[in-house]
Amino acid sequence: MDIKEQLKKILVEELNLEDLTPEEITDDMALFGEGLGLDSLDAVELVVLVQKHFGVEIKDMEEGRPALQTVATLAAFIEKKRQG
Amino acid sequence: MSPNESQRRWSSRSIGSKLQHGIFYFLIRQGGRRAAYALLHGVVLYYVLLRPDQRRKGEPYLRRRFPGASGRQRFWHSYRMILDLGKVLVDRAVVGILGPDQMQVKLRGREELLDLLAERRGLILIGAHVGCWQAAMSALGFVEVPVNLLMQREDGDIDRHYFEHAGRECPYHIIDPRGFLGGSLEMLDVLKRGEVLSVMGDRLLGSDKNAAAVDFLGGLVRLPFSAYKLAATTGAPIAVLFSAKTGPASYELELAKVIRVPAVAGRSGAAFAPYVAEFAAALEKFTREHPYQFFNFFDMWQNDETK
Repeated sequence: MDIKEQLKKILVEELNLEDLTPEEITDDMALFGEGLGLDSLDAVELVVLVQKHFGVEIKDMEEGRPALQTVATLAAFIEKKRQG
Repeated sequence: MSPNESQRRWSSRSIGSKLQHGIFYFLIRQGGRRAAYALLHGVVLYYVLLRPDQRRKGEPYLRRRFPGASGRQRFWHSYRMILDLGKVLVDRAVVGILGPDQMQVKLRGREELLDLLAERRGLILIGAHVGCWQAAMSALGFVEVPVNLLMQREDGDIDRHYFEHAGRECPYHIIDPRGFLGGSLEMLDVLKRGEVLSVMGDRLLGSDKNAAAVDFLGGLVRLPFSAYKLAATTGAPIAVLFSAKTGPASYELELAKVIRVPAVAGRSGAAFAPYVAEFAAALEKFTREHPYQFFNFFDMWQNDETK
């Protein structure tokens, strides 16, 4: 399973997105606001989940802002961190 | 009225003008705290007698705190409460203008706070709009790690914080809840670094979605659960700290409660309500001991459908 698919599964199962299935989440759907509807508290949990599942730390706002836009941007961030 | 509408109607901005603030600052420089207090009594009398719109703001709380009070007694309670708020604001300016040695601050629970910090999981301080939180913060000088405050300043507010009077830099790092994702990632960062994060637990700053309904003074109020979620996510302990004015030039800061939040599943406020309720119970105890030092001048119970 690639990173994007893993992320979608984590979002649905661990952030309790009861109305969605991983298949319904598109790569470019906004994580916050109109897209998936996550809020600021979900962001906290998502950062912790990324560290737990991928061993990648989102250290600060500079890293977090561009990474936490869509599933695709977050997956790209994780991939880059793993390679670096 | 929806919670969001009521939030827009309510503001924490000072009701005084720049000139009025300036007169108090002048009196403090010339005659110290007593001179400012003397003028304050007249100003408070004006607001209580001639500005019923301002007096009424404190009535929802007073009706619950003093349920059997007559109209005349409530009038007196209003006077006392607005006077105590005025004294706190004067004291804050006194510390800023004349220096921190003008006020004695006693801390109860110092060793316990140090023990919590020694856990190295960060520490969340939850306070409330009671007493003088600036006095409370000044008593935390012994803390060796940085202290971060979640604080939203109303646009155009001319009321000064104590460090601004002397032109000093803010001794704390301010996290603005209007920032990216409500400042949540910044808050997570400071806890991960083992630092102190200080938030207010008695007012909602953002979305009503992040509130839990708990009992407070016999009715349901909606209080924010963001800090409890952060505690659950990071393992950081929560210290509930309240300050109270105990004399003309003295304050006491008390560690009222330590709250431990386990990793809670679920996204709703209901999951965190038991922990928010612990805070509300501690706050209610404070209002029993210091009835006139509770400064939420709006109807916290307006969405209580059980009333």
